[in-house]
Amino acid sequence: MSRISFLEMDARLQAADMRGYPVCPITLLRNVTLENIQIFLRYFAYEAGWNAQVSFGDYDSVLQEAVSDSKKLFPDSKFILVYLFLENLSWNIARNFNGLSMEALQVEKEHVKNYLRLALEGIRTHTQAPVLWHSFESPVYPADGIGGPQRSGGQLETVSELNDYLKQILKMQPNTYGIDLNSCLARVGYDAYYDRRYWHLARAPYSQRALKEIALEDFKFIRALSGNVKKCLVLDCDDVLWGGAAGEAGLEGIQLGKSYPGSPYYEFQQEILNLYHRGVILALCSKNNEQDVWEVFDRHPEMILQRRHFAAWRINWKNKADNLRQIAQELNISTEHLVFADDSEFEINLVKEWMPEVLTLHLSRSHAVEFREKLLRLDCFGQISFTAEDQSRSQMIQQETERRKFQTNHQDLQSYLRSLELVATLRLADGVTIPRISQLTQKTNQFNLTTRRYSESDIRSFAESPNHRVFSLSLRDRFGDAGLVGVFIAERAGSSNCRIDTFLMSCRVLGREAEVIFAERCLTALASEWGVKEWAAEYIPTPKNALAERFWDQFGFKRKEAKAAQSAVHYSLEESQRILISNSIIHVEEEFCGTKS
Amino acid sequence: MEQKVKKIMSQIFRVAEDHIREDASSLTIDSWDSLAHMNLIAALEEEFGVQFQDQEIIQMTSFEAILSSLALKAGSS
Repeated sequence: MSRISFLEMDARLQAADMRGYPVCPITLLRNVTLENIQIFLRYFAYEAGWNAQVSFGDYDSVLQEAVSDSKKLFPDSKFILVYLFLENLSWNIARNFNGLSMEALQVEKEHVKNYLRLALEGIRTHTQAPVLWHSFESPVYPADGIGGPQRSGGQLETVSELNDYLKQILKMQPNTYGIDLNSCLARVGYDAYYDRRYWHLARAPYSQRALKEIALEDFKFIRALSGNVKKCLVLDCDDVLWGGAAGEAGLEGIQLGKSYPGSPYYEFQQEILNLYHRGVILALCSKNNEQDVWEVFDRHPEMILQRRHFAAWRINWKNKADNLRQIAQELNISTEHLVFADDSEFEINLVKEWMPEVLTLHLSRSHAVEFREKLLRLDCFGQISFTAEDQSRSQMIQQETERRKFQTNHQDLQSYLRSLELVATLRLADGVTIPRISQLTQKTNQFNLTTRRYSESDIRSFAESPNHRVFSLSLRDRFGDAGLVGVFIAERAGSSNCRIDTFLMSCRVLGREAEVIFAERCLTALASEWGVKEWAAEYIPTPKNALAERFWDQFGFKRKEAKAAQSAVHYSLEESQRILISNSIIHVEEEFCGTKS
Repeated sequence: MEQKVKKIMSQIFRVAEDHIREDASSLTIDSWDSLAHMNLIAALEEEFGVQFQDQEIIQMTSFEAILSSLALKAGSS
């Protein structure tokens, strides 16, 4: 994928049939020539299943465009990308550094900072779309030479001060993200990153390789912000987690430990554990005797990964495609959320062939020293803000597995659910819960009635608006705490009408009637608080949310015929006609006594 | 080499291959603007494994000039 040539990329884009791909308008503001990044942005978007339409601001007009009244640049952009190259923003800091007096340097820094701040504020008056702002690259050969970094206020320090300032103002504006170009520069390497010829010919500073790396970095954010990320890493065992075959070489014979030849596997395991702590779900899929594998997990002294880190496993002699499907089903995620790592080319190709939606990672046996690097470079589990739920997600998934085993001991669902001792807590969105609520709107695909994606700032403005209510649901039971798993957003329309904008539930807690009781409580609370007489709701079909299609029917909502097969289904209901739902399963705590007026 | 260059030019400029005659230049091909030129150079460099100097880049605005620049590279390597 990353080796593809420019011509090939261009040819594939030209031949691509993107009918049915959602259009993704991207606005790019810049102070240098950057038109050449377009092909990379469009190509990576195409790979992710979007039809990107990139529009460019005028050359070196970022501030003017940000503060102008003209709306032409930001009509409905989904993403705003900002690239400011230091040379064109402050020639003095970038190139005339040694000629600056202390005072002049101060003035110059203030100029840059003001520019950044005003441009960011200006962009925000036009659009609330996510802003991806590219940092300044550090000078690789500072103008003040080896002496500069020894004193304070050198060129390197000045550039990082500007980057720190940028970080600070981005932190204060929700839904803005800093893209670290120094990482791109380091990955590509200084000589290959800048193209001096085009800098002089066209004020285009970056080489093709640099543009590709930058576009790739941008896309990690764009994917993450669109909820298009992987969730689960499925690992083979022999020659992946350790060298050699556990069943043949035995405990002492396998390679694993702090020194060579076991060290590549040891470091690979450590990196996998880092993913686990980031909230990535781990699973095993190995052709082996189960006992041989667990013997290594339980008895090998150098195993970093433990049984408890894995939420599911299929250790058998069946084909891996079927095993992967079962793992996804058991974990309640879609197979497109899987990454599959194996040393066998045969298994990798089989999965590629049968399940093209699964991302594969081929770890070739003779290159164990590269395993850790390969995993790091995948960088596909991108989440931008960490929530407490992420960190304990893998743990919660394990609890779910225990719950299922428990379920098989109960005859009927009702008695099983009652025995779980479910407790649901309803709250109104607040500072603590807003990031998680936004994250759920971005990530939840299956039980999501309208699939509207909201940033943290969107949710914050709903939470502050007198005409909106954002409810959240947290759920726990005797096995553990699932955390915040449900979101209900309502909008008051007129004196007694209410429109349900969003209703979603994380799929890992479905099937416990919590979704029904949650919706019921929200409707009841709003009916009394706002005096709602007439409800309006929608079901917007997507390829993934068929599960939620008839949800509103059970409350007595009346379906209006959809205009076309794939368009939104509208529902309405008079409060007096609402079907009340009894609940003997879940204990509900409502923590919104201090409601807004 | 000539055929390969024609093929690349036809793809970059979005014109049929037989439109790229011996006398083709940025004057005869409308879509040969400065941006397309950058794309053309990027494609040529990648496909032929060469790197052009800045002076070469500004002179390579005709089919003939491209061929002679490439021939020079082939001769010197």
